[in-house]
Amino acid sequence: MDLVTLPAAVLEQTVPILLAALAAMITLRANILNVAVEGMMLVAAFTAIAVGDVTGNALYAFAAALVAACLVSQILAVITLRFGADFIVAGLGINILASGSILFLLERVYNSPGGLRPITFPDIWHLPAGALSFVPVLGPMLEGQSFIALLAILAIPASFVFLYRTPTGANLRATGEDEAAARSAGIRTDRMKALALLLSGVLAGLAGAQLAMDRLHFFLPEMSAGRGFIGLAATLFGAGTPWMTAAASLMFGFFGAVGDRLQAFALPSQFVLMLPYLAAVVGLTFARWRASTKGRPAAITETKV
Amino acid sequence: MKAFRQLLRAVAAPLGAIALTLFLGFLLVASIADEPVLAYRELLFANFQSLGNFALFINRATPLALIAIGIVFAFRAGVFNVGGEGQLYLGAMAATVMGLALPGLPGFVLLPLCVFVGIAAGGFWGYIPAVLKVKLQVDEVVTTLMLNFVALLFTSYLVNHLLRDTTTYGAISWTLPESVWLPSIPGVPNATSAFLVAVVLAVLAWVLLFRTVWGSEVRAAGTNLRFAETVGVPAARRVIEAMIVSGGMAGLAGALYVLGTGHRFEQNFSPAYGLVALTVALLARVHPISALVTALFYALMLNGAAYMQIATDVPRSLVALLTGLLVLLMTARLRRQSSRH
Repeated sequence: MDLVTLPAAVLEQTVPILLAALAAMITLRANILNVAVEGMMLVAAFTAIAVGDVTGNALYAFAAALVAACLVSQILAVITLRFGADFIVAGLGINILASGSILFLLERVYNSPGGLRPITFPDIWHLPAGALSFVPVLGPMLEGQSFIALLAILAIPASFVFLYRTPTGANLRATGEDEAAARSAGIRTDRMKALALLLSGVLAGLAGAQLAMDRLHFFLPEMSAGRGFIGLAATLFGAGTPWMTAAASLMFGFFGAVGDRLQAFALPSQFVLMLPYLAAVVGLTFARWRASTKGRPAAITETKV
Repeated sequence: MKAFRQLLRAVAAPLGAIALTLFLGFLLVASIADEPVLAYRELLFANFQSLGNFALFINRATPLALIAIGIVFAFRAGVFNVGGEGQLYLGAMAATVMGLALPGLPGFVLLPLCVFVGIAAGGFWGYIPAVLKVKLQVDEVVTTLMLNFVALLFTSYLVNHLLRDTTTYGAISWTLPESVWLPSIPGVPNATSAFLVAVVLAVLAWVLLFRTVWGSEVRAAGTNLRFAETVGVPAARRVIEAMIVSGGMAGLAGALYVLGTGHRFEQNFSPAYGLVALTVALLARVHPISALVTALFYALMLNGAAYMQIATDVPRSLVALLTGLLVLLMTARLRRQSSRH
């Protein structure tokens, strides 16, 4: 295993997962299990490439990706909050609709169902090599990363501040913890949920843009490769708190980075790829088990009279 | 009579969503295709143009129907089973392993064995989230969803490393001995007789759910678990049993697919059957017989899309798009039965 390039590889794997995880975390705090992150990421990635192809401008492509993901998130918001659809079913429906319409566009407009590969595509800003050489370990890890990766790292404290240090964040959390109580306290819970989905769209949009624009500069229909769900697993494993979610994402990113390399040691990659999902199930079970033992009344020790 | 009206309502309710989707789809087709009417005729009727097409249609509908009927059990017990896909894959894999491990056994022994391990594997994959839900209140949506990926990766490992047919290209297992192949439906060559199993099970499921004490207890547990327990229904047990049935049905779908249609395990044999079956079950208003009918409709669309693409210039991905639309429109009124937190 190459120990010099490993940290950078881990970070590269982590960034999309981290963004997807934060996207799922924001909605989870409003008591929405967001299974549509995958679809939002895919739409963002496709939009980034499609717009970049037409305009030749990286900034337009980036902005369009975010807008597209936010639009998808608001479709989900309208259909669930206004029309009372179930979040899970509608979210999974959004995923089908997203990949279906993208495939439709690829077949119909671009005539290439396999993907979209512009001949030239504008590059986005990457941290230049040597810019952080004075920082040990972290410096070389961050050098060469895209500005989206830097935004992703900043999104961790930002989401912490938002959730725990702003009134809106507090309202959002209240909505998630007890919707009836929050409503009677005068919080417009539907707005909070729509806001959570919108922020989720921004973060998922960043994730999709990073996937498409960081290095690859092309779009493939299976590009998101379940990262939306790995992010969801990271959030659940991290109990919906920013720092733990980030730590879980880093761990899953590490699995992802070593997954291919471990095949050299006769450990099949499938078992490494399984780890995030298993971790989510085990982590949730463990948390519930702890809660159930804690919630029990204290043992009454008999005292002799 | 009441049961008939109930069925009628269950069938009639989704028709609105289907009609609306088909209408939106027609607008879309009309805006891009030169011959929208031909496109839609192919989409809806090409399945019946030849016996071969009809067989493919039956083969497509069978796994959908079986999984959807299973999901009806889970829903009725108040469990949101998103895990159909994983249960399907494990069932298919278990049947394949069994068939390949003991090829020397006579067919009348090996075939039931394959079916049984398929059901058992799927049932086990339904049992885990059920127990976690009942004992520790772990959200079953999360566990079934996550366990899907585990099952898919695990079967991918097996088919790539242990069972892979090294003489061909791709992640495909060795072919099963012909002694365990299911016969076709008499008169329709290549149509899997597993479809007849699905028809029988749809009726059986209805009887079980609506005409037995067990079924009424399952439904009571699904409506209100605490209340059911209080009045003396072993509700937690019924929830677990219903989930085993649900997973078992998906496992059966996988086993019968392998035995009747694929004759071996292919890594990507399912075009998201589990997820589509979930929407089929919802669209059918959680009624087993209506689930069978809805599965047939879905299969019609899925296969019809391919013929539409051949005959006209409408891409087949239109159906994926329509499926997504349908799911969104259909859930727009239907709330999940189990209340979460």
